[in-house]
Amino acid sequence: MLTFLSGGKQITVETSYLSRPVPLRFIVLLALAIHGPLLALQVPFTTSYDANFHVFFASHYAHHWFDPWNPKWFAGFSQTTYPPLSHQWIALLSYVFGLRMAYLLVQMTAVLLIPVSVYRYARLWVNERASSYASLFSVFLGALTFLVYSAGQLPTTLSAPLYLLAVPYFYDWSRSADVTALLKGLALTLTAGAVHHVTLLFGSILFAFPVLWLAIIDRGEERSSLAVAIRAVAFAILAGIGLGVVLLPYWLAIIRHPIRQMPIYHASRTNLLLNLDYLTNYFFVPYGMLLLAMPFLVWYGARNRRLRPLVLGFWITFLFGLGGTTPVPKWLLGRAFEILTFERFTLSAALMSLPIVGLLAERLVDRYRRTAVVGLALAALVTVILPMAWLALSPFTSSANLNVDPVDAFLNRDGHDRFRYLTLGFGNALSKVSTYTVANSVDGEYNSARLLPEFTHYGTAQLTSAKFFGTAGMEALRMMLRHANHYGLKYIFIHDSYYEPLVSFAGWKKVESYDNGSISTWSKEDVPPARPFPSDAMPTALEGLLWGTLPLGCSILAILFWFLIPDRARLRSDMLLSFPAPDREGALVSEVR
Amino acid sequence: MKNVLAVFIVLATGLFVVLAWFQSGGGERRQMRSASTPEQAARFLLSEIQDRNFERAYEQLANRSDVDKKTFIREFNGSDGSLLTYASLETFDVWGLRTDAQEASVRARLHYTTAVGPLDDVRDIKLERRGETWKVLWPVNPTPKLPPQVIPVNYLRWDVINPRDGDDWGVQSVDSPQVRIISMNAISRPDSVVLVGEVVNEDSVPAYVNVGATLLDASGAELAQESSFDKISHTLLPKQVSPYRIDFPNLRLERVKKVRMDVKALLESASADPVIEISQQKIETDPLGKQVLSGQLVNESGQVVNIPHVIAAYYDSNGKVIWVSDGYVAQALLPQVPVPFAVDLPAEVAKNVHSYRVVVNHFNTTAQT
Repeated sequence: MLTFLSGGKQITVETSYLSRPVPLRFIVLLALAIHGPLLALQVPFTTSYDANFHVFFASHYAHHWFDPWNPKWFAGFSQTTYPPLSHQWIALLSYVFGLRMAYLLVQMTAVLLIPVSVYRYARLWVNERASSYASLFSVFLGALTFLVYSAGQLPTTLSAPLYLLAVPYFYDWSRSADVTALLKGLALTLTAGAVHHVTLLFGSILFAFPVLWLAIIDRGEERSSLAVAIRAVAFAILAGIGLGVVLLPYWLAIIRHPIRQMPIYHASRTNLLLNLDYLTNYFFVPYGMLLLAMPFLVWYGARNRRLRPLVLGFWITFLFGLGGTTPVPKWLLGRAFEILTFERFTLSAALMSLPIVGLLAERLVDRYRRTAVVGLALAALVTVILPMAWLALSPFTSSANLNVDPVDAFLNRDGHDRFRYLTLGFGNALSKVSTYTVANSVDGEYNSARLLPEFTHYGTAQLTSAKFFGTAGMEALRMMLRHANHYGLKYIFIHDSYYEPLVSFAGWKKVESYDNGSISTWSKEDVPPARPFPSDAMPTALEGLLWGTLPLGCSILAILFWFLIPDRARLRSDMLLSFPAPDREGALVSEVR
Repeated sequence: MKNVLAVFIVLATGLFVVLAWFQSGGGERRQMRSASTPEQAARFLLSEIQDRNFERAYEQLANRSDVDKKTFIREFNGSDGSLLTYASLETFDVWGLRTDAQEASVRARLHYTTAVGPLDDVRDIKLERRGETWKVLWPVNPTPKLPPQVIPVNYLRWDVINPRDGDDWGVQSVDSPQVRIISMNAISRPDSVVLVGEVVNEDSVPAYVNVGATLLDASGAELAQESSFDKISHTLLPKQVSPYRIDFPNLRLERVKKVRMDVKALLESASADPVIEISQQKIETDPLGKQVLSGQLVNESGQVVNIPHVIAAYYDSNGKVIWVSDGYVAQALLPQVPVPFAVDLPAEVAKNVHSYRVVVNHFNTTAQT
């Protein structure tokens, strides 16, 4: 500490880096240094489950911006069943960088937005230094690494920081009726919703309610809590109307065809305690060393009035992240429990825990100085490395890296694209096949868009992975093969000999093989060419126009607001500084030593 | 008072976890591990097999010294490319048959998911009491060992030469083989319409055959279109006859006015090998009380048949096909080793069956080139 006189006033400043906030620019650069090389190496395309899926969606927008009807999967489906913004940004950037690089750029943007958004979110709850620590730790989050490199959930990882950026504006508007905050908050909320609906839907409850509670606590004596609540409701109504308009084709699609298909098994819905692999995948890996901080988080958070809403919000989100390990998600969600996957909630829970973890770090650093820094750095490193190590050790392997070029070459030559095709044993490489061929498939990777009875009557996900869904999966596959002539399904590509007996007994013949026989092509000769199927799920031209303009427009508006409208300095009450109690004596003693 | 929320969160989380653990069968599983009743012991063994913990399942046997571990594992894991090598135990039911102080027997219905569809197996399991727990007495089935021998290969074989390399299979500028549907019978079932019959290859060359059907209503509108799928032998040698069955689920026969049959035939490479003998055929009642056509298959060739598929046609006293049923055989057919088979038969059909004919289709991992 350095004390000097300035203008007759004694001023004390911290000279030790350990007692000052970490600059946000440094944290962003650190995020770039950690995730930049991994993304430059295209790791999501070799290890993740969904990266190819998002590229496939983006590819459609790149070719048919205003026509969300995609004939390449399920004999035709509407892309209005999935919010488009992340895919549209990939499509837009792909005109310059190509699809894969564009995906990586959008994912990089999401990764860089995480620490910025966490910092701004944490500032609502804790002081600047603890917020900077929270932001720093967000770079190392296991859940983030898991979702980016293993799950490939780009929309979740992009939507979450956008929503976190919006939440402080919601606080400012609710607490102090700041109109610029309302505008910026709404623009960011609509943008987050246009990226990922599920994150927004649950975020609006799990993130926003604690912040609303905080706004009421922080309102000051001159404002009534009713006024704060009314403003919050006004925000919610405006956001609801905005989302209703921006995602209108999505709502229309859902109203026309509500999701009534048989529930599809997902490991994140099981009781994680009954399977060590699942427990590792959905609990240890996403949280990493954060688990050690959780007792502190609950204990200290619950003792402080301002942090109680955050602790409660974190707790409920944490319970959601546990899937079927507690009955709470099922009680609260009902049938929706069988539709959702719960790994995404681990990111939300981890993000919500960070402000208090930042406090813990601050106290530890104040008390143990360099020892604490080394310990925290090691914990952060273990947390970020664990998901990467799990990618190699996990029994769940992705097929994203499969070489599908010969399959695409076959489909794109000699008029083979006049027929539909099916892949078996390709896992998530199916999306890669579909992106680069003009032929259409009866299968697909997006469960919510499926309308064919061969899918909806059985509790199975994509047919290419039918065997992993047991009898339900194989029955769905049998049903699809039975109706091959109806769908013009002539070609089957097999990357897992498990499927060969069924295909052979059903009358297909092996005609070609590639990669030393690891992929084989099977053909059935009495299949007529595929014909398009008229569907009432096909969006109208107006819906296509709205879908092609409003979501992207929202994001551009949010960017403009961000840069053009300066934030007003947030008035903060003294009570914000009262926890944790600054240990000034301790710091002085420490400095004297 | 400041700690109330923290204590509440910890206690509530613990309570939720315990509740979900019991809901998801954790308590039941713990009880099952105690193996204090014959049913629990059998369930424990089968649950280990379900989880593919074959070593731990083997540890549950009372007569380990008599049972070869590899043979035990092969019973569930399959061997020689059999259907069980493409299968996993999905669910099972266990119920008691007889229990006394030291010995008991239970019946287990095992439901496998396989590469060609579901497969059910019923086993009677004997157990004996060892102190406070029950252990499974696994039946000792010695693997038949054949003496070395030479089996001459003198079967017929037909090859098809495509004029241009790279042509799709089936793009052939020659006449299709002469194939004819020799019978067709539309049957009304409680929840479906079923077409059964037979198709013959009248040509002197092998044919790839597929039979499809379209049901039309009184106005000539299409009601449904289906094909024989795997309920036919797609490869027919010269003069060979195959039964076929086409299922139309969720349809009533009263709505059907007309049936349009469609048989597709293409030249195909084929051979008469392997020769599979079908013997000891009889209609009987299985342990679950269902009517089945049972018998045994003997592979008379020198090569292993990985997955046999039995298709049976049943005739009434007028020689009319009244039903076709099929089933996959879980074991591979080793040369000269008899393997039992059984295919289901609806009880109301069984009483009208006058005669039957069985054909065996097969899949070999090496045969597909």
